[in-house]
Amino acid sequence: MRQKNPFLYYGGKVLSFAVSLFLLSLAAFYVARLAPGDPLVSYYGDRAEKMTVQEREQAEARLGLDRPVHVQYIRWLEGAVRGDFGISYKYRTEALSVIAARLPNTLILGGIGFLLIFTGALALGAICAWNEGNLLDRFICKAGTVVSCIPEFWMSLVLILIFSVHLRWLPSSGAYTIGGGGIANRAVHLVLPLTVTVAGHLWYYAYMIRNRLLEEIRADYVLLARAKGLGRRKVLFRHCLRSVLPTYLSLMAISVPHILGGTYIVETVFSYPGIGTLSYESARYQDYNLLMLLCILSGGLVILCNILAQIVSERIDPRMRSGETPEVTDHG
Amino acid sequence: MDERFVLVGARTPQPPPPKELPWHRGKPVLAMAGLLVIVTGCLCCELFIPRDPAYMDLVHAMEAPGPDFWFGADTMGRDIFSMIWHGGRASLLIGFFATAISTALAVLFGTVSGLSPRWLDELLMRLTEIFLSIPSLLLIVLLQAILGKPDVLSLSVVIGVTGWTSVARVVRSEVRRLRSSEYVLAAQCMGAGFFHVLRRHLAPNFFSSIMFMVVMNVRSAIASESTLSFMGLGLPLEVISWGSMLSLAEKALLSGAWWIILIPGAFLVVTLLCLTSVGNWLRGGGDQRGSNL
Repeated sequence: MRQKNPFLYYGGKVLSFAVSLFLLSLAAFYVARLAPGDPLVSYYGDRAEKMTVQEREQAEARLGLDRPVHVQYIRWLEGAVRGDFGISYKYRTEALSVIAARLPNTLILGGIGFLLIFTGALALGAICAWNEGNLLDRFICKAGTVVSCIPEFWMSLVLILIFSVHLRWLPSSGAYTIGGGGIANRAVHLVLPLTVTVAGHLWYYAYMIRNRLLEEIRADYVLLARAKGLGRRKVLFRHCLRSVLPTYLSLMAISVPHILGGTYIVETVFSYPGIGTLSYESARYQDYNLLMLLCILSGGLVILCNILAQIVSERIDPRMRSGETPEVTDHG
Repeated sequence: MDERFVLVGARTPQPPPPKELPWHRGKPVLAMAGLLVIVTGCLCCELFIPRDPAYMDLVHAMEAPGPDFWFGADTMGRDIFSMIWHGGRASLLIGFFATAISTALAVLFGTVSGLSPRWLDELLMRLTEIFLSIPSLLLIVLLQAILGKPDVLSLSVVIGVTGWTSVARVVRSEVRRLRSSEYVLAAQCMGAGFFHVLRRHLAPNFFSSIMFMVVMNVRSAIASESTLSFMGLGLPLEVISWGSMLSLAEKALLSGAWWIILIPGAFLVVTLLCLTSVGNWLRGGGDQRGSNL
């Protein structure tokens, strides 16, 4: 691998990020404009239907809807560069501020969920590899397969049915009780959504770790290390786990959007006021300006994570320098 | 072997003892049987369901499971037992259609990308990445908005169009591996067209490596259908499917009618589980070598 100028290296990454983001925004903009539904109705409500032709034209001109799509896109892009992403038709305020108000909630749910999945998968995978073929390993594998087959929305429903409706232990919706928003109150509201988020994804990554570790412990260096007299534990944790980690880190970077995509559904079922519920609402109320921005934001995050994954794996694992990021397959 | 000629410490090749494996060893028999029962049950449901699944018997709305309504009745008085078998058709159909669409797209895209020169391949893969970067839920919602009112066909198209990327990647890397092999080159030299090479030489080779993913795609298509219909973005209430049955869950939660949520959901999960075990079986067994640890 030839040594690259770091400036060129990171410059290339930034450039490819910018190009991808541009293409993404172009696609999202066109799709949003193609979608049926009258933006005027979502902006003016019922009044839009009573408008005269003249009023309609004025309103369209005011919102910039009378121009051809590419002109609209260029105007939108000009605004976007200055930080003005247009208005949400439904909330009638700036789309960005609507999103900013909801973002912390999603970050709390997604962030804690991500950390739990990250550490939990590592632990579970190591436990399974340690006990390969044992009763414990087989039990965890079976349980994981079953849990990963349960659609997230149904798991949420069942948990609500058990813990909120029958036992009345935990609240079924929202991020906090209106009026009192202490930390304990928030935490109680987080338990069920977090459980579903973690349970839905944990297994996939744990299985990945397990399989990689099982491949690793069949390598010759493990035999050598054992022959030298190194203990099983030391070999597994110091050597095998360490050589699996780079792949895992880049996989986890790619997994961010998957986990976020999962919280979308969970948020909607639990009416948790985050980005997911917001996109669901904007889809239902045909608030395409907002939906488009949400698409671009989450898509941008994905692209960013992909690039980060590439950088991470190239930095810490020399073997990856010429290769590609590990494939992440669809897991439902 | 004669005892006197055994070298101490040397490994003698032992012929493997001929073992008669029972026919069901290593095959997910239970899952296959379950799948068979569910598919045939749904296809031939007219023969045994006691009621018209769409008939709303408002007198018996929300009736708990009993001798009259085996699995209870939903909030509109429809018989859940009949609805499950009838609704399974829509769900399975969507799973099947969507996977057919996504597999066709994936094979086409993957082969084109795998056979094309490096710059085009890079470009196509970059496009796939961008496509993959939009959360599939949002993409499905946007596409569905363009296609208009959802029905079984349009929902399959939407789910299929959004679900081809992972298979396409595998096809592409397999094709890249195969494309310089002699038989492909020979066929191309003799003037074989794109589709001929794809059908005769490439597809048989990558078929086995995507088979597992295809089965998994059926699973995720069925799960997507139910999720979307549950959220009110997929099939409407009148079109019975496992997802649209579960979209009544909110009312059921308020009144504690557990059977409306648990029974259709259990059917859904069992189907997904059967598909998963069949898929895992198709993926093939793990490493047979012994552990060094």
